[in-house]
Amino acid sequence: MSPVDFSVLAKGDYPQLIAQGLVTMLELALLAWLLAVLVGTVLALVRMTTSRLAQSAVAAWVEYHQNVPMLVQILLWYFGIATLLPPGVQLWINRHAGEFVFATIAVGLAMSAYISEDLRGGIRSIPKSQLEAARALGLTYLQSFRKVVLPQAVRIALPTLVNHTVLLFKNTSLAMAIGVVELTYVTRDIESQSFKTVEVYLFTTVVYLGISLLLMTGGSFLERRLAVPGR
Amino acid sequence: MSSVAPIIRFEAVDKWYAEYHALANINAEVAKGEVVVVCGPSGSGKSTLIRTVNRLEEIQKGRIYFEGQDIHAGSLELNKFRSHVGFVFQSFNLFPHLSVADNIMLAPTTVLKRSKADARDKAAQLLTRVGLASKIDAYPGQLSGGQQQRVAIARALAMDPPAMLFDEPTSALDPEMVGEVLQVMKSLARDGMTMICVTHEMNFAREVADRVWFMDEGRIVETGDPESFFSNPKTERARRFLSDLRSH
Amino acid sequence: MGDILAILRDFGPLLLIGQYPNGPLGGLAITLLLSVLGIALAFPLGVALALARISPFKWLYWPATAVVYVMRGLPLIMVIFWVYFFLPVLLGRPVSGFTTMLATLVVYQGAYLAEIVRAGIESLPKGQMEAARAVGLSYMQAMRKVILPQALYNMVPSMLSQFVSTIKETSLGYVISVNELTFAANQINSTLLSKPFQVFAILAGIYFILCFCLTQLARHLERRISRRRAGQAAGAPVPVLPIALATTE
Repeated sequence: MSPVDFSVLAKGDYPQLIAQGLVTMLELALLAWLLAVLVGTVLALVRMTTSRLAQSAVAAWVEYHQNVPMLVQILLWYFGIATLLPPGVQLWINRHAGEFVFATIAVGLAMSAYISEDLRGGIRSIPKSQLEAARALGLTYLQSFRKVVLPQAVRIALPTLVNHTVLLFKNTSLAMAIGVVELTYVTRDIESQSFKTVEVYLFTTVVYLGISLLLMTGGSFLERRLAVPGR
Repeated sequence: MSSVAPIIRFEAVDKWYAEYHALANINAEVAKGEVVVVCGPSGSGKSTLIRTVNRLEEIQKGRIYFEGQDIHAGSLELNKFRSHVGFVFQSFNLFPHLSVADNIMLAPTTVLKRSKADARDKAAQLLTRVGLASKIDAYPGQLSGGQQQRVAIARALAMDPPAMLFDEPTSALDPEMVGEVLQVMKSLARDGMTMICVTHEMNFAREVADRVWFMDEGRIVETGDPESFFSNPKTERARRFLSDLRSH
Repeated sequence: MGDILAILRDFGPLLLIGQYPNGPLGGLAITLLLSVLGIALAFPLGVALALARISPFKWLYWPATAVVYVMRGLPLIMVIFWVYFFLPVLLGRPVSGFTTMLATLVVYQGAYLAEIVRAGIESLPKGQMEAARAVGLSYMQAMRKVILPQALYNMVPSMLSQFVSTIKETSLGYVISVNELTFAANQINSTLLSKPFQVFAILAGIYFILCFCLTQLARHLERRISRRRAGQAAGAPVPVLPIALATTE
């Protein structure tokens, strides 16, 4: 085996490719995360209503997204659901990075199920008396929820929310299966061209580990900052 | 009985929890400035009764009037109404993620739309009144039980309610902290606040209550001024309750 | 709906068992084989890593911790690529996709199981180990006969949910052409071309039924164990890891 030589990554158009891969991966992760948090919060709120139909619908959503593999969900969106859309929409999407769009939607919606469960767990752990005290002061249900219940629920759910954020970030690598030019796709591409397997893989490994570590320490930092002062 | 309308009036009130008859044919009034102590054995419906006043519990029969208004009328805005009734819980229920100041300021700023500066000034005043001025930026987790309950009283007072309801305010406190809370309540009573207090603290009743309602099995069995109730209860059930209270 | 039934009728066997007996085994059979073997082999590795992570010997603690953190931080697909590259080098001969996938799952799940087992061990009251040592058992004997049996019993729901994760992870075999369920479905789609939604909906449906039933079983066991534990006198209540926390996919 030839000695490890990282300079190969700086040759030709590899740096550009790697940069593209990095940027795409980060864009995909951020957009999917925003979608997951938005939808997840709405779902958690909907689940708290008294409507049995609403609760069953959210439960079904959560069960589906947690029991079907992420890769299969991406394939279903890109190869399956895409074909159900009206031809005009399909054409438009294909011209505007269709693979990226569907990967974002797939990962975002899948993780929304986990986020909604995390929030639901946090909300359930807040004693009813907190809500009662807020209502007794004259706050509306929504105000009580926003100012008293949710802030406490999020603090409790924070560790699992951070875990699932890391999971979402790792799941972006699956977008390579439908041709999204993110970091893993680029890695495989360069490896097959240059045969410098160790160098490329090590680089990508360090990037993924670095960002995962960053997310986890960021989470711990946030937990400490938000912690309520006590005795 | 003065000719001024009572602040709180119960008219033939009944409440059931499924089969269980929690409140039975309650008829009573609280006049302005009056301090009423509600006592009785556990399960007698004392807490349930005061919780119906701000509709934390709902009734199935009868009417309740607050400042002359039927509190179950369709035209009543529930949240606005609740903001008008001060309620102090047995387990304080302070909001742990907010500082003492924010706890007190939350409702005035959100419901009454007061400015933060005004609300904070008021909070400082009220904290002085309950003896906790220095704790204005502390968090509930840093306070003792007695201090938390006093903050809870200040929080309720911040809305300038015409009447205050106390649901066993000292029952969850260690004995040495009961006094500081009762002192605040006594000073409120002396300043003319209309109060209904569910409590076991008989000395408090003797000192500041105008009337005692004795409840048993969902009914107000006996009423009277504290002195005659404690020294000479008229009903057998009241006698039994008072002797149990004294013997332990 | 009729399409779906037609596809199931025509391609059902391919999805379930591949080309067997006229060719290699494939489809759902391979998925299950990979999952069961994967979790079975990952289990002893997980226990070993967990013990290393609670050991006071730094030469055991640091490598084990490194393995666990790397598996938590790396996407599964990168681990697959590494194993795909390294395993033939290590063994000195070419390695099939199936073996690559199996080895990946063993290492990846081993790390996650290690954390579950570690949590299980640490949630037992200290008195258990102390009592075992006090009657003269060595550390390893105490582990084997007193600590691990209790820890593992409590962690069964979490481990079951890791099994569900393993099943979902086998779908990545598709990327290196392992003939498991997702690969089989893709083959059918390439043949049919006209009904992609139906094919992938069936694929999702099969995984859903399989994983959902197992998850429900795990939840049922979790409730039973919690009830058992609530009745026990000694020690603090055992925190059975919430199922959602344990899944890796």
